[in-house]
Amino acid sequence: MKKKSFFTRFYVVICLAFFYLPILVTMIFSFNSSKSLTNFTGFSLRWYEELLNNVEVYKAVYVSLSIAILATVISTVLGTITAIGLSRSRKVVRELLLNVNNFPILNPEIVTAIGLMLLFSSIGMRKGYTTMLLAHIAFCTPYVITSVYPKVRSLDPNLANAAMDLGATPYQALTKVILPMIKEGVFAGALLAFTMSFDDFVISYFVSGNGVKNISIVVYNMTKRINPTINALSTIVIVVIILVLLAANIVPHLRKKSLNRNHRRNTVIAVVLVAALCTLMIRMGITANGKHVLKVYNAGEYMDLSLLEQFEEEYNCTVVYETFESNEMMYTKLAAGETYDVLIPSDYMIERLIKEDYLQYLDWDLIPNKKNLMEDVVNKRYDPGNRYSCPYFWGTVGILYDTTVVDPEDLDDGWELLRNPKYNGDLYMYDSERDSFMIALKALGYSMNTTDFDEIDAAYEWLIEQRDTMAPIYAGDDVIDNMISGNKALAVVYSGDASYIISENEDLDYLTPSQGTNVWYDAMVITRDCSETDLAHAFINFMISEESALSNTAEVGYTPTVSSAFEEMKESDYAGISSYVPQIENPKNEIFGYQEPKVKQRYAELWTKVKAQ
Amino acid sequence: MRRPKNGGVWMILPLYLFTIVFVAGPLLYVLALSFAKANDGYGVTWAFNLENYKRILDPVYQNTFKQSFQLALTSTVLNCLIGYPFGYFMARLPEKKKKHAMIGLMLPFWVNSLIRLYGWIIILQKKGLLNHLLKSLHLIDKPLKILYSYPAVVIGMLYVLFPFMALSVYSSAEKLDWSLVEAARDLGASKTKAFWTVTFRLTLPGLLSGVILTFIPSMGLFFIADILGGNKIVLVGSLIQEQMTRGSNWPFAAALAVVLLILTTLMIMLYRKITNAKQLEGVGWE
Repeated sequence: MKKKSFFTRFYVVICLAFFYLPILVTMIFSFNSSKSLTNFTGFSLRWYEELLNNVEVYKAVYVSLSIAILATVISTVLGTITAIGLSRSRKVVRELLLNVNNFPILNPEIVTAIGLMLLFSSIGMRKGYTTMLLAHIAFCTPYVITSVYPKVRSLDPNLANAAMDLGATPYQALTKVILPMIKEGVFAGALLAFTMSFDDFVISYFVSGNGVKNISIVVYNMTKRINPTINALSTIVIVVIILVLLAANIVPHLRKKSLNRNHRRNTVIAVVLVAALCTLMIRMGITANGKHVLKVYNAGEYMDLSLLEQFEEEYNCTVVYETFESNEMMYTKLAAGETYDVLIPSDYMIERLIKEDYLQYLDWDLIPNKKNLMEDVVNKRYDPGNRYSCPYFWGTVGILYDTTVVDPEDLDDGWELLRNPKYNGDLYMYDSERDSFMIALKALGYSMNTTDFDEIDAAYEWLIEQRDTMAPIYAGDDVIDNMISGNKALAVVYSGDASYIISENEDLDYLTPSQGTNVWYDAMVITRDCSETDLAHAFINFMISEESALSNTAEVGYTPTVSSAFEEMKESDYAGISSYVPQIENPKNEIFGYQEPKVKQRYAELWTKVKAQ
Repeated sequence: MRRPKNGGVWMILPLYLFTIVFVAGPLLYVLALSFAKANDGYGVTWAFNLENYKRILDPVYQNTFKQSFQLALTSTVLNCLIGYPFGYFMARLPEKKKKHAMIGLMLPFWVNSLIRLYGWIIILQKKGLLNHLLKSLHLIDKPLKILYSYPAVVIGMLYVLFPFMALSVYSSAEKLDWSLVEAARDLGASKTKAFWTVTFRLTLPGLLSGVILTFIPSMGLFFIADILGGNKIVLVGSLIQEQMTRGSNWPFAAALAVVLLILTTLMIMLYRKITNAKQLEGVGWE
């Protein structure tokens, strides 16, 4: 028998190891002195320091905690009362309600999530803290009911009546008789609600907006890039949780042993107390009272974030900074009613926003730094005369390749290199419908702005064939770190990302295919609904000052629109890196143009199909 | 003294209303929207049609359902194989160890699931811990490409959903009357036979509810496919997310959600038919 019990323990321990390994690895690398997540180069606390300076994370912790506390308290009260009420209502009502309640518990969360999101948007509620709180209450309450209801059922239904006959008021009957008997269930429900709310991603992701993010959303946005601040954050979360559990288990031991039985209650109380304390502390840490707020919406990994702090200081305001993964995603959010002041989309999207009346004219008198802009980047077809937009970065799309793996002769194939079976499984594509179709159309010799459905279908076939023979990964910003660490030999990238990656990994080089490519311009625009137009103009002006542009391009590697910054970096940090100086002479190059909705729809559908395989 | 039995109902009517508005409401809205038509650019036209459902019949999307099903099945089977013994062993541990194992199981559950998945990126990447380990053990010469692949997604699902399986098996094994097993042994059943005829049968409800609790969420956890699978659409959940955020085709997303809902409801009905149980084991952590 002894042998068996050894085996049992061994198995349990192995499983727990599977459980703790990722957490342990995360914790170890939070103390790494370098950014790498593969080599431990030495002990340091720099990521903790960075975490302390990261206001976004602060706010996220505050949102997560405060929502978890509020949702736990409210849904526990709601759920308990409903459970008690249920036990006293007619069978039909009871069965119906219990079944309705089970729906969110038993179905994939995403169904509940989009349901709530659609509900909020249909009644015109602005997405943010309130919608997130309501959603959390809505999905936590069923869990509380599920834990409390069985306890209530097991009570003698005459109990409350007996108490009242003996002179108790209904309130006393509830608090003195019923609640003490079901408290186990109530605390279990509260604990479950807290866990669910604190850990939630799917529902929060869909119902939140306007800069309100919980920890999950922030981590989700950060996972695309190597970012050891996540490691630091998770280490802190784990340590706090361990402390709470210890407190819940040890404190009663120190007091009288008789209290031992209520350890679940103690857990709940400890959790709520600690959470409340943290929330308070963080709340005090965030000082954003009464200042002007500017909401900026930009692509991910596309700005030196220290510039934001500098701007906030200089103009005594708060910048709410959000990022998107693609122009299409930005458009959807905007159309769904989110409000921003400054956007930084790409050319074709700006053209669409202008056509659909989302933007307002720029007042160039308020942007004296206009004089810094290079001539090459203004007055393009997407916005003639730059009435709406101020150029931010520009560049091309090309192929980043590993010179130690890719045969130089294959480079002449241009885009067809991406279909060379030699590099099967060694390739990143961009998860972007327009860029991917651009590649296919150019490889086939068509215009990337084609509206001819036969040509579009041919491009679709090209992409399908590529997908089936090459097994590419459709990536986003994760390409950057993966190419730096040499994970794959080929990647479709924007020239700016290429410059940054090549500066970190010298084995790589950038190819602008001879069949022509997309020359793109991203620019800052001000929305029609902008409530802080002066501040928005000041922001644009600030971003194209010579100093800002220089530190911005140094940080992200994209080609600036400010000539002095471009000239300086070309000779220093990015000297010799071909992608830094976009090659735009090829007459086959094009700029993306506006797509009619019908054409757009076609592309969107086909792209989903490519990705869905 | 006779009190009307429904006396309490009026008092808690607002609570019922809350449940109906925020739980049933969204579901009904999704259902209604699934019959509407998406506008070309953005927005919805309320014209009853079945186009969205017809579109699901497109082989590409059918394939997504199939793949999603396969993936859920794989991760559920693995979960059974690993989670069943775990829950079973945990129930057999001495009382004190049991508590420790329980805390051990629940602790990671409290750490944000995205943070935990992030840990897997570190382990699975090309120059990550796993490849390092396998290489130093001379099991491989070339690093395995696990990150952004199918196995990575399976690992992620297994990891996130494991506690549900372990807990439901545990809660039914805990209730098991072990004297029954002894009785079977006394009556001459071999160890194996006693396990299959008594223990396994009696813990089957726990296992089945674990299956439901792991299989159903696996269809929708798009962020796992996203973070560990490299943005490919392999889940119905990813497809819904894509249509909601980028494709801006909300009615199509709604139709997908309705089909998903129907499939999962069928599974739950089947479960109830098999086990005759009203509630799932382990949901309330009892």
